[in-house]
Amino acid sequence: MRGWEKVGSSRSNLGRAGSTVTTNRITSTVRLGRVEPQAPGHRNIFCNDREANFLVRFKGNSISTTKYNVLTFLPKGLFEQFRRVANLYFLTISILSTTPISPVSPITNVVPLSLVLLVSLIKEAFEDWKRFQNDMAINNASIDVLQGQKWVEIPWKKLQVGDIVKVKQDGFFPADLLFLASTNADGVCYIETANLDGETNLKIRKALEKTWDYLTPDKASEFKGEIQCEQPNNSLYTFTGNLIIQKQTIPLTPNQVLLRNFVLSVMLEKRMPRALEYCNGEKGCSLRNTEYIVGAVIFTGHETKVMMNSMNVPSKRSTLERKLDKLILTLFGALFLMCLIGAIGSAIFINRKYFYLGLTADVEDQFNPNNRFMVFILTFLTLITLYSTIIPISLYVSIEMIKFIQSTQFINKDLHMYHAETNTPASARTSNLNEELGQVEYIFSDKTGTLTRNLMEFFKCSIGGEVYGTGLTEIERGAAQRSGGNVGKAQKSPGLIHEKGFNFDDARLMCGAWRNEPNPDTCKEFFRCLAICHTVLPEGEESPEKITYQAASPDEAALVTAAKIFGFFFYRRTPTMVHVRESHVEKMGKVEDMSYEILNVLEFNSTRKRQSVVCRYPNGRIVLYCKGADTVIYERLADVGNELKNITREHLEQFGSAGLRTLCLAYRDLSSSLYESWNEKFIQAKSSLRDREKKVDEVAELIEKELTLIGCTAIEDKLQEGVPSCIETLSRAGIKIWVLTGDKMETAINIAYACSLINNDMKQFIISSETNEIRDAEDRGDQVEVARIIKDSVKKDLKKYLEEAQHYLRTVSGPKLALIIDGKCLMYALDPSLRAMLLNLSLNCTSVVCCRVSPLQKAQVASLVKKGARKITLSIGDGANDVSMIQAAHVGVGISGLEGMQAVMASDFAIAQFRFLSDLLLVHGRWSYHRICKVITYFFYKNLTFTLTQFWFNFQTGFSGQRFYDDWFQSLYNVIFTALPVVILGLFDKDVSAKLSKMYPELYKEGIRNAFFKKRVVGIWAFFSFYQSLVFYYFVSTSSSTSQNSGKMFGLWDVSTMAFTCAVVTVNLRLLLMCNSITKWHYVSVGGSILAWFLFIFVYSGFLIPRDQNNEFFVIYVLMSTIYFYLTLLLVPIAALFGDFVFQGVQRWFFPYDYQIVQEIHRHEPEHSSRMELLEIGPPLTPDEARSYAIAQLPREKSRHTGFAFDSPGYESFFASQAGVYVPQKAWDVARRASMMRSRPKLPPKS
Amino acid sequence: MAGSSSAVAGSTAPGRNPNRPKYSKFSQQELPACQPILTPKLVITAFTIIGIIFIPIGIASLSASQDVVEISNRYETECIPEGYRSTKDDKIQFIQNPQSNKNCTRTLTVPKHMKQPIYVYYQLDNFYQNHRRYVKSKSDKQLRSPGSESDTSDCKPENNANGMPIVPCGLIAWSLFNDTYSFTRNNYVSLTVNKTGISWKSDREHKFGKGVYPKNFQSGGLIGGGSLVSSIPLSEQEDLMVWMRTAAMPTFRKLYGKIEFDLQANDVIEVSLKNNYNVYSFNGKKRIVLSTANWIGGKNDFLGVAYITVGGICFFLALCFTALYLKKPSRLQDPSYLTWNTNPGPL
Repeated sequence: MRGWEKVGSSRSNLGRAGSTVTTNRITSTVRLGRVEPQAPGHRNIFCNDREANFLVRFKGNSISTTKYNVLTFLPKGLFEQFRRVANLYFLTISILSTTPISPVSPITNVVPLSLVLLVSLIKEAFEDWKRFQNDMAINNASIDVLQGQKWVEIPWKKLQVGDIVKVKQDGFFPADLLFLASTNADGVCYIETANLDGETNLKIRKALEKTWDYLTPDKASEFKGEIQCEQPNNSLYTFTGNLIIQKQTIPLTPNQVLLRNFVLSVMLEKRMPRALEYCNGEKGCSLRNTEYIVGAVIFTGHETKVMMNSMNVPSKRSTLERKLDKLILTLFGALFLMCLIGAIGSAIFINRKYFYLGLTADVEDQFNPNNRFMVFILTFLTLITLYSTIIPISLYVSIEMIKFIQSTQFINKDLHMYHAETNTPASARTSNLNEELGQVEYIFSDKTGTLTRNLMEFFKCSIGGEVYGTGLTEIERGAAQRSGGNVGKAQKSPGLIHEKGFNFDDARLMCGAWRNEPNPDTCKEFFRCLAICHTVLPEGEESPEKITYQAASPDEAALVTAAKIFGFFFYRRTPTMVHVRESHVEKMGKVEDMSYEILNVLEFNSTRKRQSVVCRYPNGRIVLYCKGADTVIYERLADVGNELKNITREHLEQFGSAGLRTLCLAYRDLSSSLYESWNEKFIQAKSSLRDREKKVDEVAELIEKELTLIGCTAIEDKLQEGVPSCIETLSRAGIKIWVLTGDKMETAINIAYACSLINNDMKQFIISSETNEIRDAEDRGDQVEVARIIKDSVKKDLKKYLEEAQHYLRTVSGPKLALIIDGKCLMYALDPSLRAMLLNLSLNCTSVVCCRVSPLQKAQVASLVKKGARKITLSIGDGANDVSMIQAAHVGVGISGLEGMQAVMASDFAIAQFRFLSDLLLVHGRWSYHRICKVITYFFYKNLTFTLTQFWFNFQTGFSGQRFYDDWFQSLYNVIFTALPVVILGLFDKDVSAKLSKMYPELYKEGIRNAFFKKRVVGIWAFFSFYQSLVFYYFVSTSSSTSQNSGKMFGLWDVSTMAFTCAVVTVNLRLLLMCNSITKWHYVSVGGSILAWFLFIFVYSGFLIPRDQNNEFFVIYVLMSTIYFYLTLLLVPIAALFGDFVFQGVQRWFFPYDYQIVQEIHRHEPEHSSRMELLEIGPPLTPDEARSYAIAQLPREKSRHTGFAFDSPGYESFFASQAGVYVPQKAWDVARRASMMRSRPKLPPKS
Repeated sequence: MAGSSSAVAGSTAPGRNPNRPKYSKFSQQELPACQPILTPKLVITAFTIIGIIFIPIGIASLSASQDVVEISNRYETECIPEGYRSTKDDKIQFIQNPQSNKNCTRTLTVPKHMKQPIYVYYQLDNFYQNHRRYVKSKSDKQLRSPGSESDTSDCKPENNANGMPIVPCGLIAWSLFNDTYSFTRNNYVSLTVNKTGISWKSDREHKFGKGVYPKNFQSGGLIGGGSLVSSIPLSEQEDLMVWMRTAAMPTFRKLYGKIEFDLQANDVIEVSLKNNYNVYSFNGKKRIVLSTANWIGGKNDFLGVAYITVGGICFFLALCFTALYLKKPSRLQDPSYLTWNTNPGPL
């Protein structure tokens, strides 16, 4: 049989393969000519020949992402559990307590430990079961496989290496496939990798020409190729192999490989239980625009590249939990101290004079007075087991449970964070960080897709001194709401046109109505300018409905779209002409096709900030149309008609303060002689060899002057809904928001204005690399020199600004500060020598905007603040370029519901909209923080109190380590008698309602200050624990030292049962005292816990148990038969809680927390009506409806800032690529590139 | 593929928005709750109520406790002949010598009328019945059932005597208190001491078996304390039961017996006691106590005082707070006290 030797050799190599493959995988992958497969690690696959492959025993295609199986569950699960220090500690204690050293029976520690382990294991098992079900669903998904001469559906798991499969459109790739044939011509297929790299454009894969024909089943069955390829590895972008077909060896490249679906695998790996649902909801995860493809399976199951790519993202722990570790350490310290005191006491106490202790000569070491050191050591160990309850064993498991429910039931199901349009609820992808959300001080936000929708819409314009457009921006709406403006109902004009890039409503201009305006000629010029002066390419059918515009920046597309809707439809561009279908100037309803000859295009760049087109009308008129930033246009206006200029300037400012991006439009009529003479110079400049750009710019200056102003446009860089108000709320909450964006500085500042991150009252510090000095240096091209100069200038700036900032800080009412820095400067500012200064400066600023930053820099900035300032940070973003930032910050939030999944995958929480951040932080985060703090402090309190009581008792037992409580009391104290109420508290406690939390965002500052888990707070709890334990011990022991009415006396166990009863009652009541809100579940759990104790003791002491010691027999009945029991039970809890009660009252009265004041202010308001109202509003007003606020109500603040549109990071490279020049992609272009692609139509099948 | 899971999702929430979370008061965190706010009024009310309840209870308890008549007499030194009192070693020598005359007489004067039953207690000081080694040194099984005689693992070193299991084993039983008292009133009437019913019923009926008889008790080398009559089952050895219900504190009283006879004020009671028990080794003290008991039990001012103190403080605080409240109304409900309103500026 063919291939025997090869099979043999490859089998012999298998053993070595593992070690060598890893080193091989980075080697170059494509070689020309006949390539010998790289020995030693390669596999030979016989396509369509299961028998041949059978000998090699490739792994099957079934995957298993479960952690355990039936056999390994117990050992492995237990091992995982004992990796936790607390559990390990208790295991040690349990072992110790089986020795005679121990004063307590093993029950004391074994029972709580086993219960804790049981709960954890059940949780693990449940999760693993879910994963198993997911695996099963995936493994049983069906795929068409060639068997004989027809496609047969088999489940994925039955798939084997070498099989020929058919994948249909929108289908998943069941394994790594070698792409053989496609229904598309040229053997190409399109695959979507959005989930892999965040790019939404389709990727093309091309099959080898040799295999194009194997498409139909009968043809494919003839395919008998042999694939020699590398061993499975995790390199996603490389593939080395050969296809031997018809005795010909053809090298294979990654281009012929279709990888098993990424999302699915990643989700499974990250243990997302709803992976499949999610994928079904997606618009198809893999094969696109292709009817079906045929491929041969090369890697299966766990050997597929994505599965081998299992990255273990280290799980984050919350800051609070790390603080908790410190508390636990402190408790260990206390434990040590207590044991030390006891052990010393014991060594001193032990003496033969106490003859009744039977300290004979052969007494065991622990009580041997001859060796007091041994007594010390052994008693120390004894006491450790006795006092082990000081470490709250069930704390971790309780917190875990609470957080799990918080995230799955509260965060994931919050209707306030459900986005109806994208059908996306919020999703907590980890339950570790709930309380971290309540302490965030810095938010790092991406711009595009997070703050903005990356959607430019023509929104308003000013033509000849008249403002058109009735819409209201988010920012205006926010301002109106703040000043108490009323929300009217939208009055949409009939026949309102709303399409991508156009969101303009004003009947005066629409449908040709502009002809009736006072200045129709200006309008005409305005529209023509929009239709002609641009560099947009039309694509698709030449009809207004179907055409799409391909533009370097979305602004441009929006302007051209606007022109189209106003009746100046640009539909074709040829190298020299622009064709516009204009609505007839005189006759309504008629159109005429006009062709304008484009004489020159004076391109946009960031120094010119304008763009001009010189065109010749069909009638010979030569006009220069120019559009650009107001500053540059105003400089170049003809010196007439100042009135129009002033009015337009006012409009510009008005637009600017509304957060709109503005452009001024102007034109200039040129006489042909003037044009000709200029054109000569222009051509000369164009053809010059040195400094061409500079010269062209200079020549352009000559003609771009004496312009006539037409008007200006205002484009809305559409913010996500509710962003400004959310940002405002968050900043009131004491959270500082930094925008980190790949955009240009102008854009970034513009958005910062639009989001009300920056306003004109702020002092802006700008550190930019766009200075003349730096530019000159860059022109000279000496990289070392450039670096030095930038560094110096950054250093100088930082120093200067820092001094200034400190000066402002000293003054009482200095302005708020804002820092704007660009990526290049940031690179140097992040240098270790300047880092401290940068940090210092930026921490003093209310808002910081970093523009043109790379993904890496985003992460660096986040970790600068995280590590340098030790503040709690949150990153929010939507794209692949935000992943590093999301992972670097304490909390990563991904924007979900969009196409890219990468950010969500890396995130800890996923929400659909930026504005949900206020719910996530101010409501859920704050509550979680409050609750977890309470839970921790309560645990601390109850265990300390309990243990201290034992400690006091030991002073009176000759430090012998005698237990005060029965074994079962001690073991069930934590897990039964006091376990549930604290969980209820952790779930339901609510200081102020959700509505108030958002109404008073400042309440959040208590979390930032960590007001509820400070040393002082813990200290106070410790103090009252101390007090209460003394009360428990001394009150009970003193009052019980007397005889009862029957003259009889109580014994040790009567006293201890009494004390324990008091402790259980008190500790449970203490919980009620610390609750901010009490639901019926509180009563049930607190009552239930106390009841559980009584039930337990009734049963426990009611029977004689076959044990050596029946100390508790009948004790509770004896106790309850005395009046003393009732008197003590009334006295002790009240006396014990007295201190806490006074403290709480006084604290609330004289030193109230903010939330307490808010509680008081609103205490007579029924909470539910308010929350229901919120719900009724439900889906917030749609953007259209919301535009109904009366403009007149708006406070018209003047803005010095007029945002200017028309810049975009992709701009230069766009033109360069149009001209056929390759411009290296910059890192920060990735997101934009992806988003540009998004607007492009799906790649049509090439014909 | 994977129709199962999506079908589930679909069926639970039909309609446009399959992912829309279902509304429930629980998941929206809107469970009805009351907000207990510790307002000054509430605090004052609570304190007043506590005061109103506690002070009467306290007064009642205290007066009950005051009504109890208690006579206590310490005798461990006085009951040693003068010659042996000087050093500890002498005392020990005296007490450990079986030949020495341990009889001793103490005279008590009844200060007030004492109604029967009058309880007789012995009180020991510095005796650690709650020491770990001591507490566990017994075998409940053995005490309970005749079959478990050899169940003496916890009883070391008092588990075996001459290779035979000791019943009752262990240090507790071994160190049984064995001073005895008899009383004479006004020099001529002897008062009988009723020694039945001095132990808790549950001990008598369940913990100490009817068929269990003392064996090999105090037959070892060292005598710890009292011995037991081996013909009486443990369930009737009430002294042992009392002793074996180990005390919580190193100072404790245990019931010795009852005198069912009223004593008049100024009656002189002569106690003839046998000073057998060794407390001299560890500097312990011994007392004999005669006490009446009423509904609250024996003399114990602690409960009454504690109730009165707590109640009193509550009253006092209620008054203080009321005064404060009238003088300076609460800061609460006043937004100007919110921290961000009081100290403007960055965080």
